[in-house]
Amino acid sequence: MGRTTTSVPFGKRFLPPIVAISLLLPLLSAATAGAADLSASSTTYLRYYERDLAGGNKDTFAPLYEYLSADATNLAGAPLALHFYGWGRVDLSDPSGTGGTGKESGDLGSAWLEYAHPTGNARMKLGRFFLAEGVAVETLDGAFFKVTTPLGIGVSGYGGAPVEQSILDNTPVGGSMYGGRVFFNRSGVTEFGASYLKERGPFQGKDRELYGGDLWLRIAPPVEITAQAAYNRATRGMASQRYAVRVVPGSRFDISAGYEAYSYKDLFQTALHPVFIVPSPVIDNADKVRTIFGVLDWQPVPGLTFELSAKNIRHDNDNVAKANRGEAGIRYAFGGGKHIVGLSAAAVTADRDENEYREYRGFFTFAPGKFRLSLDALTQQYKKEIDGRKNATQAVASLGYKAASSLSLSGDLTYTQSPTVQKDYAGLLRATLELGTATGGKK
Amino acid sequence: MTLRAPFAAVFGAMMIALLAGCSAVSQTPSVPPKHPEALPTGRANCLECHENVSTGALKPYASFRHSRVFIDAHGTYARQGQNLCAACHAPSFCQTCHARKDELKPNVKMGDRPDRMAPHRGDYLATHRIDGRLDPGSCFRCHGNRSDAKCRQCHK
Repeated sequence: MGRTTTSVPFGKRFLPPIVAISLLLPLLSAATAGAADLSASSTTYLRYYERDLAGGNKDTFAPLYEYLSADATNLAGAPLALHFYGWGRVDLSDPSGTGGTGKESGDLGSAWLEYAHPTGNARMKLGRFFLAEGVAVETLDGAFFKVTTPLGIGVSGYGGAPVEQSILDNTPVGGSMYGGRVFFNRSGVTEFGASYLKERGPFQGKDRELYGGDLWLRIAPPVEITAQAAYNRATRGMASQRYAVRVVPGSRFDISAGYEAYSYKDLFQTALHPVFIVPSPVIDNADKVRTIFGVLDWQPVPGLTFELSAKNIRHDNDNVAKANRGEAGIRYAFGGGKHIVGLSAAAVTADRDENEYREYRGFFTFAPGKFRLSLDALTQQYKKEIDGRKNATQAVASLGYKAASSLSLSGDLTYTQSPTVQKDYAGLLRATLELGTATGGKK
Repeated sequence: MTLRAPFAAVFGAMMIALLAGCSAVSQTPSVPPKHPEALPTGRANCLECHENVSTGALKPYASFRHSRVFIDAHGTYARQGQNLCAACHAPSFCQTCHARKDELKPNVKMGDRPDRMAPHRGDYLATHRIDGRLDPGSCFRCHGNRSDAKCRQCHK
């Protein structure tokens, strides 16, 4: 049922248009924007790193990446918009790609036409877009609509071809997908919905068919309850559940606690990634996971934030058994939020030694004038060796300069010592060009 | 043939919605497509300027304060509607992490911004063995149905 496999590498298909559009960016100006609000963002990355080979030789890698997004809104004065996002890579030295991508690669992330109605959050999308709606979290080649009626009852629907890629042979997979959501909302009080998704595809012999439910309920001004659950009809079991209570009494305190659970058999039945597919050396298909979690974010004074999180994870499978993860962090922002310093520590304790580790991180980013200077250091200490090592360390130093209101340049130097690489240095140059003809903010 | 049925169903529903006209659509103003003012750097806190309930999204602005709590649970809110997200975030923002076959990790792309949340910091290749054993469902959300060619070096 898989879609036709293309013989043209993705990089060769998408790189030329991405580069061509990038070269046209300087033409974007107010003079050309009479019939629309235009904005575009181009980020170019040049990485440099080496890898040791057997026999004392080295491969040298210098991949050049271009990430481009462009948006045209308010087309002809109507609530119509066109959106585009894609990236491409060309290797300036040895091939850095894996899985047959060679010295070129790329992807069309999204390209779609959107109609956004002025009322009721009604909208339609047509093309390739990222969709989060009920049980669906997909990239889709197709159409989507959503509308809310005056009664607060709404409906959404979508259909098309899922944009998925087999990890086994790097080819597009997945047949067709459709689904939708029916929901009710009442301003400031509740929103709940029921959703459905069906995808035809090579999912361990069965199609993918999910029924979902979601709830947001404000039981008192600072207290809200959220819930989401998905039932897998193909395996006849609950795939995943998540329930949480959250208290947000103001702008400086936020606390949440909850429970989530999933079943390997019912959640991973639709996986395309082989690590999730049974039989697998790391997945016991009968296993179930139940997690209790809590998260706190507290800002006692402006700029100073404390973060605490904890979770208890329980597996039915005794080979994994139980684990606890606790994390504490502090960050301080000053200078109007331009300068930030942060420290954090995390610990994972478990029934089994190979699952235990500690993690410490410190960072700062200062932005005096047109410069930005950052340092980020992270170290992890494993209770049991991984490939002969019990620790990993990475530090990233970055220096940036805002050359113009729309152009930022920066360079990163990364040092890594870990079970997978020893005393590794990598460099990265980054150029970001942001152009727009409309006021307002987008991040 | 497999594509026709869902396309027809969705197209038909869209046509019905259009034919029903504006009277079938709530008159509550939609979230504006773009935030009218430039946003400050750092984590967004809508309550600095807004009060009460968000237009269109119909939830309190407090729910969208970008605290650690919200960041961990952002998917819960996004699954009920992306309109409010899209007012401040570029349409491609989600795909910084929810990518299909991206080769650059989010923390590499944002190496100059250590203050931002980015999964897989450090040489995550080593640590993912532990996190993957303990909570593979957290990996599945982004990697289960999408390709990451680097995975194939080991996961064949």
